[in-house]
Amino acid sequence: MEKKLNDLIDKALSRRKFMAGAGTAAAATLIIGCNNSSPAPTTTPAPTTTPTPTTTPTPTAAPLTDADYLTFALNLEYLEAEFYLYATTGSGLSSADAGSGAGTTIVPSTGTKITFADSYLQQYADEIAQDELNHVRFLRSALSAAGATVQPRPAIDLTFFAGLGTAAGISGTFNPFTDENAFLTGAFVFEDVGVTAYLGAAPLITNKASYLGPAAGILGTEAYHAAEIRTLIAGNAAASGATAAQTAALANANLIAALRGKISAATDTMISGETMLSTSQIVNCDSTNAIAFARVPNQVLHIVYGGTAGAGVAKGGFFPAGLNGNIKTTTT
Amino acid sequence: MATLETQQLDDIIVKSRRRMLSLSTSALAGLVLAGVTKKAEAATLMDSDYLNFALNLEYLEANFYNLAVYGETISSLSTPIGITGTGTQGVVVTKGGNNYASCKVPFAYANIKAYATETALEEGRHVSFLRGALSTSAVAQPQIDLFNSFNALAVDAGISPTFDPFASDANFLIGAYVFEDVGVTAYHGAAGALTVAANLGAAAGILAVEAYHAGLVRTSINTLDRASTTPGTLTGYTQKISALRSSLANPSSSPTTQTTNGGIKNADDQGIDNTQMVALEGTSATYPSTTILDADNNSICFSRTPAQILAIVTGNSPAKASGNTGVFFPAGLNGNVN
Repeated sequence: MEKKLNDLIDKALSRRKFMAGAGTAAAATLIIGCNNSSPAPTTTPAPTTTPTPTTTPTPTAAPLTDADYLTFALNLEYLEAEFYLYATTGSGLSSADAGSGAGTTIVPSTGTKITFADSYLQQYADEIAQDELNHVRFLRSALSAAGATVQPRPAIDLTFFAGLGTAAGISGTFNPFTDENAFLTGAFVFEDVGVTAYLGAAPLITNKASYLGPAAGILGTEAYHAAEIRTLIAGNAAASGATAAQTAALANANLIAALRGKISAATDTMISGETMLSTSQIVNCDSTNAIAFARVPNQVLHIVYGGTAGAGVAKGGFFPAGLNGNIKTTTT
Repeated sequence: MATLETQQLDDIIVKSRRRMLSLSTSALAGLVLAGVTKKAEAATLMDSDYLNFALNLEYLEANFYNLAVYGETISSLSTPIGITGTGTQGVVVTKGGNNYASCKVPFAYANIKAYATETALEEGRHVSFLRGALSTSAVAQPQIDLFNSFNALAVDAGISPTFDPFASDANFLIGAYVFEDVGVTAYHGAAGALTVAANLGAAAGILAVEAYHAGLVRTSINTLDRASTTPGTLTGYTQKISALRSSLANPSSSPTTQTTNGGIKNADDQGIDNTQMVALEGTSATYPSTTILDADNNSICFSRTPAQILAIVTGNSPAKASGNTGVFFPAGLNGNVN
C-alpha cells in the first residue's frame, strides 16, 4: 500500500514542481482525490483531467507558502465573521480586527441585525459569531508571529446573497438578514465551504508542527458549525407545524448546495456534487467512505467569487475587489 | 433521564466522588509513568499504527450505532462489515447477556432515529474504509463492552448508578455524546503524526465527519433538553461527561478555564452550557451564547494524544505504555497503540 501511495504522491509532487503556483492546486487534487473518490488509497485512480503546463498562467510564480494558505483562510474567516457579526450585532469587525487598509463591507440598506424570535437561535448565532471572530484574531496573530504580512480584510459584499440566490434559483431576493430562518440559510452558504476549504488546504501545509494542528482544529470547528446549522434547518423543516419560512430555509439550502456542487464540478473533478440536506443526511460527505469533501483553493475561489467560469477570475461575488494575498486568482 | 433520577442526582454526585477518587487512584499511581508513556509511543509508531488505533475506535462507534438502530453488531448485519484481522478478535458485550436485539432503541422521534441511522451508516463506512486502507495489516475487532462501560462511566461522571444508552432517544444521544467529541480529538491528535499525505487527507476528512456528528449530537441534545420537563438535565449530563473525559485525559495537569467562549473549568473539554455569554466586538460579555462547539479559547477544536484517548476509552489514567484494558475495551485494543 505504502509504495503505491508514495508513487502517487511522487507523481503529484513532480507535477507540482513544473506547475508552480497554479499547479499546486492540481497537485492537491491528486493527493486529496484519494479521500473522495476511492474506496481506499490503494486503489486511487489518477484523475483524468489534470491541467497541462500550457494552461498555467504564471509559470514563474513562486510556490505557495504556508503563509499564503493561512492568508487564504483568513480572507474566508473575515467573510464569515462579518456575516455573523452583522447578523448578531448590526456591525462588523472592529478596525483593530479588520486591520490597517481594510476594504469596506457592503450590507443591505434594510439593516442586518436580526431580531431572533427564538432565543436558542440567538445563542447559536452569537456563539458562532464569537468563534469566527476568534478565528480572525487567531490567524492574524499566527501570521504576525510567523513574520508574514497580515493582510487586512478585503472589500466584502454581503448583498451578494441576492445574486447567489438568483443563480441558485431561490425565488425573490434572498437576504439572510431578514429573519432567523433566512439567516440559517445564509450561514449554510459558508460553513460547509469552510470545511471543504480547510480540508483541501490542510495537506498542502508544509510546517506541520506549527500550522497543521490549528488548521485541522479550525476544520473541526467549521464542521461542528456546519452540522449545527444543517441539523437546525433540517430539523425545523421536518417538525410538525413547520412554518413556510422553515420549509423554505431547507429548500433554499439545497438549492445553494446544488449550485456549490455545480460550480466546483465545473472547475475541477474533485467533487461532482454535494449531498442534499435532509434529516436523513446531515453530514456533507461522500457516500462511499463517509469522508468529508475537500476543495482546493481554486474551487473555493470560484464559489466565493460567484461562479464565473474559467481561469483568471480574481474578484466578484462576496469579494468585489478579490481576496487579499497570493491566492486570489482562479487557475482553471 | 427520569424525574426520579434527577431527584437522586445530588445524592449520586456525592457518592460518585468516592468512586471518582477510586478511579483516580490509578491516576495518581500512574503519574510517574506519564513521561515514559509518551516516550515509548513517539519512538516507533507508523501511519499504519495510527490508522489501526483509529480502527479500534471506529469498531466501537460503529457497533454502538448499529446496535441502537438495528439491534445488530456490525458483523451480524444483513450486509456484514468485516471484523477479522490481526490481534485477538472479540465479541460485543451488551445488556441482556449480549442480547443484541434488545439494544434496538425505541425511538420516539423520527428525526433522531434518522440521525442514528445516518451515523450508523457513516461509522460503518469508516470501519470499511480503514480496513481497506490497511489491507492485511488491519486489526481485528477487539472485545467491546457497551454495557458495563456505560454503567461505570455514569457513576464516575456522577450521572446515575446505571446507564442504558439504548433505553430512549435521550439516552442514545448521551451515549453518542460520549464518543463523538472524543473521535474529533483523537483524529486531530493523530493527524500531525501521519507521514503520508494521503493518510493525512483521509484522517482530516474523517475528523471533519466526526465533528459533523458531534455538532449534530450536541445540537440535538440541546433541542431535546429544551423540550423536556426538566431543562438543564441533559445538558448537565454533557458537562459531567466532558469533565470526566477531561480529568481522565489530563490526570496531572491543573484545569484550564476556557474563558473566551465558554467558561467551563476543564482542561480540554466542555459540555453544553446555555448560560454562557460572549463579548463579540463589545467590551464585555453581553450576548447570550452557548457551547455547541467543543473547542479552546481560540475556537479551535481540542487535540488529544493516543495516550490521552487510551485513558478515556479504557479508564487507565494516565494510560500505561501498553496493555491498557478496561471500560469500552475490556481485553484492550488491537495493534501497537494499546
